[in-house]
Amino acid sequence: MKRNMAFISCVVFTITLAALVSVSAGRALMYPLPSSVPQAEKKPMQTFRAYNVAHRGSNGELPEETAPAYMRAIAEGADFIESDIQATKDGVLVCMHDVTLDATTDVADRKEFADRKTTYEVQWVNTTGWFVVDFTLKELKTLRAKQRFDFRDQQYNGKFPPITFEEFISIALDAKRTVGIYPEIKNPVFVNKHVKWSDGKKLEDRFVETLQKFGYKGQYLSKDWLKQPCFIQSFAPSSLVYISNQTDLPKVFLIDDVTIRTEDTNQTYNEITSDSYFNYIKDYVMAIGPWKDTVVPPEDNYLEKSTDLIAKAHALGMQVHPYTYRNENSFLHFNFHQDPYVEYDYWINRRGVDGLFTDFTGSLHRYQEWTSSSEKQLLQKIASMVSSRDRS
Amino acid sequence: MGSPCLTLFALLCLVVGTAARPFYPLPSKVADGERQPLQTSRPYNIAHRGSNGELPEETTAAYMRAIEEGADFIETDILSSKDGVLICFHDFTLDDTTDVAQHKEFADRERTYEVQGANTTGFFTVDFTLKELKSLRVRQRYPFRDQKYNGKFHIITFEEYISIALDATRVVGIYPEIKNPVFINEHVKWPNGKKFEDMFVETLKKYGYKGSYMSNEWKKQPAFIQSFAPTSLVYVSNLTDLPKIFLIDDITVPTQDTNQSYWEITSDGYFDFIKNYVVGIGPWKDTVVPVVNNYLQPPTDLVARAHAHDLQVHPYTYRNENLCLHFNFNQDPYQEYEFWIHKMGIDGLFTDFTGSLQKYQEWTSPLSSRDSSNETSLLHKIAVMVSPYERV
Repeated sequence: MKRNMAFISCVVFTITLAALVSVSAGRALMYPLPSSVPQAEKKPMQTFRAYNVAHRGSNGELPEETAPAYMRAIAEGADFIESDIQATKDGVLVCMHDVTLDATTDVADRKEFADRKTTYEVQWVNTTGWFVVDFTLKELKTLRAKQRFDFRDQQYNGKFPPITFEEFISIALDAKRTVGIYPEIKNPVFVNKHVKWSDGKKLEDRFVETLQKFGYKGQYLSKDWLKQPCFIQSFAPSSLVYISNQTDLPKVFLIDDVTIRTEDTNQTYNEITSDSYFNYIKDYVMAIGPWKDTVVPPEDNYLEKSTDLIAKAHALGMQVHPYTYRNENSFLHFNFHQDPYVEYDYWINRRGVDGLFTDFTGSLHRYQEWTSSSEKQLLQKIASMVSSRDRS
Repeated sequence: MGSPCLTLFALLCLVVGTAARPFYPLPSKVADGERQPLQTSRPYNIAHRGSNGELPEETTAAYMRAIEEGADFIETDILSSKDGVLICFHDFTLDDTTDVAQHKEFADRERTYEVQGANTTGFFTVDFTLKELKSLRVRQRYPFRDQKYNGKFHIITFEEYISIALDATRVVGIYPEIKNPVFINEHVKWPNGKKFEDMFVETLKKYGYKGSYMSNEWKKQPAFIQSFAPTSLVYVSNLTDLPKIFLIDDITVPTQDTNQSYWEITSDGYFDFIKNYVVGIGPWKDTVVPVVNNYLQPPTDLVARAHAHDLQVHPYTYRNENLCLHFNFNQDPYQEYEFWIHKMGIDGLFTDFTGSLQKYQEWTSPLSSRDSSNETSLLHKIAVMVSPYERV
């Protein structure tokens, strides 16, 4: 009798548990989380004025490439959130700008990693530090980010961990309006040298796989693309050419300072900005991302004459997204009177750039909102409607 | 016989003719009635020492730049030379903003005096005649600002400063300070027992400055008289009804003439007294909203109490450089303007960057919608073109 009772109560318990589980599982579908907005209802991304690209998130205010930095950028009106993608020792794609962890995490304070400090050659320069490629994801996650520049707000140091590429994507997809992503295939030569995937795939393959896994696809301004906007950027032209076979997402060719050679093809600035090179690369990329001081070289902290880089790019149908715009007066040339808005005005209205990588998403957003009157916006919308009809 | 008479007559006609008809009035002279009046609908843009973010402070160039950039008022500090000429200069010593140290002929002029209870060593303006002061050249005070104008401009007099304002092609107000009156009166003596304050008001009257705040006379030639010394303001109240502003220093600094503490002079009782003599106060902004670790704390009630006593509030000083911006503003001077104008509700701002404040105000509370009129008329044209097709 007792055994029967025990058995029956066991069964009842299990059934109740099962019922509870299935009901709560079912209920997740019946009551979608309040923060999820169906794609069809999301406010689309603007495409009629220069793109506000949140460089490493709102890193003027929060430590770069962390979840809060990206969420702040979205709250402040970014069109795109930008990131640098590398790989950990165990092949997980993470958001981190430097090849080393020294400048933006507390790794130097971690006794358990004291022996990981080493020296590698990176783009022909011997570099010493704690390298991302020597840490597993689990280990990386124990670190905490810190603000890179000492003149920026230090109060969030030690609070946030590094994030993965997938987490970065989720932040964008979870936003209540359409927010684009702008990830970089970062240091592919170095990463592929140090990280091997068991199936013989490379950083570039894993990078595109991740994007496709989350539904990113489509040419620039296609319906697919407008739902989930994305630019793929890299300083390594061969990586961009390589992935052209795998995805038709728009790509951006980054161009470094005049003294720096490309890490994969060892080409000089003059080579990769020549007419013939632009004629070649324009079939693979729809934009260039140059360092702004090479577009208009400063002298004694004054901007003088502009080069013809923007004109050449535009003539070949390529957009121009220079980097990086910062509010601090030490970064502002004297023409701008220590006023970041005057700098935005110059680049957007005088030089006609199509996007800006900024550390201060909020400032660029304010500038654009305040200077586009609603009439102007309407005319710009009409212009873009007319030009897209021209294209088709 | 008649010809000398005729000649004389002809000469007379010529004289009369030329005297009566200015054939070609100087282009900069705009008839009074045609000048764009002072705006009074939004907080005053007060060019603190001229546009000194860009040019050396208190020079002709700095004031003319400020007027170009849209200042409502140009501000200055009035001190005296040894021979009793009123000059525009902020510090009582010449060391920080002139090349006096390079003038061997003045090497023996260095002195130590007590100023507001502290012994100060340097080259004092009160030990140099105007002629000697004019041989000096001004330089930019801050090393992080544009140094390219150093050594180009000289010190100007109160009268020269007034002429700059009166010569402007729109109505530009002046905002001179009775600076360090206790110290000046100790070191400089004028004939007929006149004091610094007497000479100050005489100069204003000589150029036609008069009238209470918002009177017709005042609006033609707007002026505020400011001082940290309440007795000077009370004293000049008998000499002119031009509006006066009581400047309030940091909480640790007592008044130079009455030795009263910050707490005394900001008490309700004191406001009750001083409001009979001044139309407003000019506090240091970090006393209005205290700062801890470069973050703003909850505001004090100073603005509310001042307003309750019908006193305007014109805080000082707003600067674009990130080291001067508290972290709440994300290194963005426009966000600081936004906070003070819209959250704190102040009535005027002393700024080193006239152009930035002007842009902020024009973009967010424009005086006229003339910017959008082009777009509006174009849209109107389009509407007119479209409407016949609609009917069909």
